[in-house]
Amino acid sequence: MNVATQRQHAKTLFAQAGLPTKRNEHWKYTDVSHLSDMAQTQSTAQTIQTPTTTLGIQNLDAYVLVFNNGAFVEALSSLPQGVDITSVASLLAEENHKLTDLFTLSGEEPLFNGFLALNAANAADGAAICIKANTKLDKPLYIKHISNQNITLRHGIYFEAFAEAEIIEHYLGVDDNAGLSNVSTNFILGTGAQCKHYRLQQEGSKQSHIGRVEVKQYQDSNYQMHAVELGGALTRADIVVNLAEQGASCSLNGLYVLAGRQHVDHHTRIDHTAPHCTSHENYRTVLDGRSHGVFNGKVVVHEGAIKTDSAQSNGNLLLSKHAQIDTKPELEIYNDDVKCAHGATVGQLDDKQLFYLRSRGISEESAQELLTFAFADAVLASMRNEVVRRYVEQAAFAKLPHGEELEELLA
Amino acid sequence: MLVIKDLHASVDGKEILKGINLTIHAGEVHAIMGPNGSGKSTLSNVIAGRDGYEITSGSVIYKGKDLLALSPEERAWEGVFLAFQYPVEIPGVNNTYLLKAGLNAKRKHFGEEELDAFDFMKMVKEKAKVVQLDPSFLSRSVNEGFSGGEKKRNEIFQMAVLEPSLAILDETDSGLDIDALRIVAGGVNTLRSKDNAIVMVTHYQRLLNYIEPDFVHVLAGGKVLKTGDKSLALELEDRGYDWLLTEEANAA
Ligand SMILES: Nc1ncnc2c1ncn2[C@@H]1O[C@H](COP(=O)(O)OP(=O)(O)OP(=O)(O)O)[C@@H](O)[C@H]1O
Ligand SMILES: [Mg+2]
Repeated sequence: MNVATQRQHAKTLFAQAGLPTKRNEHWKYTDVSHLSDMAQTQSTAQTIQTPTTTLGIQNLDAYVLVFNNGAFVEALSSLPQGVDITSVASLLAEENHKLTDLFTLSGEEPLFNGFLALNAANAADGAAICIKANTKLDKPLYIKHISNQNITLRHGIYFEAFAEAEIIEHYLGVDDNAGLSNVSTNFILGTGAQCKHYRLQQEGSKQSHIGRVEVKQYQDSNYQMHAVELGGALTRADIVVNLAEQGASCSLNGLYVLAGRQHVDHHTRIDHTAPHCTSHENYRTVLDGRSHGVFNGKVVVHEGAIKTDSAQSNGNLLLSKHAQIDTKPELEIYNDDVKCAHGATVGQLDDKQLFYLRSRGISEESAQELLTFAFADAVLASMRNEVVRRYVEQAAFAKLPHGEELEELLA
Repeated sequence: MLVIKDLHASVDGKEILKGINLTIHAGEVHAIMGPNGSGKSTLSNVIAGRDGYEITSGSVIYKGKDLLALSPEERAWEGVFLAFQYPVEIPGVNNTYLLKAGLNAKRKHFGEEELDAFDFMKMVKEKAKVVQLDPSFLSRSVNEGFSGGEKKRNEIFQMAVLEPSLAILDETDSGLDIDALRIVAGGVNTLRSKDNAIVMVTHYQRLLNYIEPDFVHVLAGGKVLKTGDKSLALELEDRGYDWLLTEEANAA
């Protein structure tokens, strides 16, 4: 099948599947019925005029790919050596392109989750990236998306054997227009490849975000993700990792900092299909106002996947009595020779800790913020890229009155 | 410095402090002893401003001010310090910067300028030396993963940095080995001056060999049963608390 046929097939699939409804077990906490029109409306890309260099993470020494309302802007991008980067749009315009794999829909999910089919059918652009074997990228690759309307993007990032790179995927809303981002990023990590992936969601306050990350990992490859959810009105992200060959390992770290009526739902699924693979998952949510967090962490250990080592932890801090969290680990284990641990906590700020800090002269408000900050730090601290970490800390906690002072208090 | 009059406090409707009277002057060291569950920690917490206690009657006047009307942080700024019986672990919060923030909040409160970061670090390192706290503890999270004795030593280190006028040490000596006890006592003695007062809650006469108290009080059943000098501590060590409780019962 060529891409055109595939995309036609996706359209047909969507017509059958429609958007997922709350009756579906995987979508029961996230109502997307109001997104139906936007999901099917293709906006013609209106270029945002704000200079993109002033937006997003500053002082980051990186190769930059800019997507302005869903369209790749080559003029603003800086491309590294040893890496093939082509825009999906330009590839689609060619006769014999190599995108067939990127647009393949497989498995059962497209049959009920229409966003997948819509993405494959409508994505007009994206980045097709191939990091050549044994290439170690000297600087991170910063994929900066700025938007204020409906966008559909499909990225494919291929790491050849022993390639190493850091990918920063940033979704940044520039105003409060309503819109929907339907974005999908596919990773393939060859033998021994190493990928550090930061995914920062800072859409505008009326923007909804449907995101998907799919990772297929070959032998001894390592994938480390940090997903940070700060913006948007409604966000759903599906993170799907297949540890397909032995010795592969992944760590999925998530942080939501939400207020108002924000809604964020992550469904992660890790398939241990090969022996001797390791997966670690650490999600923290900080929920204020009437915000609603959802975390569903599914781990499937398949029959042959002996010596699997899997750990999942999820901590949730409710700062208001109207905030809500729905958290659920789902373990399916089909062999005996595995080590699996999981745990979830839901709580408020600790009175004893608050009193301790106040008794040392920290004001009540600062003490609350500090403990909140420290709670989130369990995820922040594992971000190895310091510029990104600082950016996230500031973005997440700038709204706190003492955000800046508190920063140095973190251990 | 501190005048407590007929202080009654309850938790969840259960009265724990049943009329405490205690007067502490600047320059004095007081020891409070008493059986388990007699209300020693409750009294310490009430002075430091912990939530959850209902003060049903009585008053606590500190340096002429109504202490009970102040928030815990205001009390800290005014010079009250509590070394906790069970110091809590606070993962993610840096031990040193906590003190810096506490000191700066205090300075701000009094309209003073912020501490110079360099001077502060120098001072902190000196104080750490006094209590022989390994410098690696300065950059760790507050009490996280500290051993019992290390936590206690950290409390004394914090006290040394914050330089309170009224320090309450709630069983800081419990769980310390002999060397640590000597070090902690050294830290306390450094703070001792004519302007400061120290209250030590303890079960053991041992500590009082290192820090000589001016007064020893026995707290039992939420009341101060007896007050004496350091010889009272020796007598208690010898005879336990029963004779006092009997004396009280007979008097009633
Ligand atoms: N938050 C609380 N809820 C219920 N009871 C409490 C609470 N705090 C203290 N108490 C009770 O009050 C009494 C006094 O406790 P407190 O901790 O003050 O004793 P203590 O003299 O410090 O004892 P110890 O020598 O064992 O440290 C105890 O019976 C205790 O169970
Ligand atoms: Mg006690």
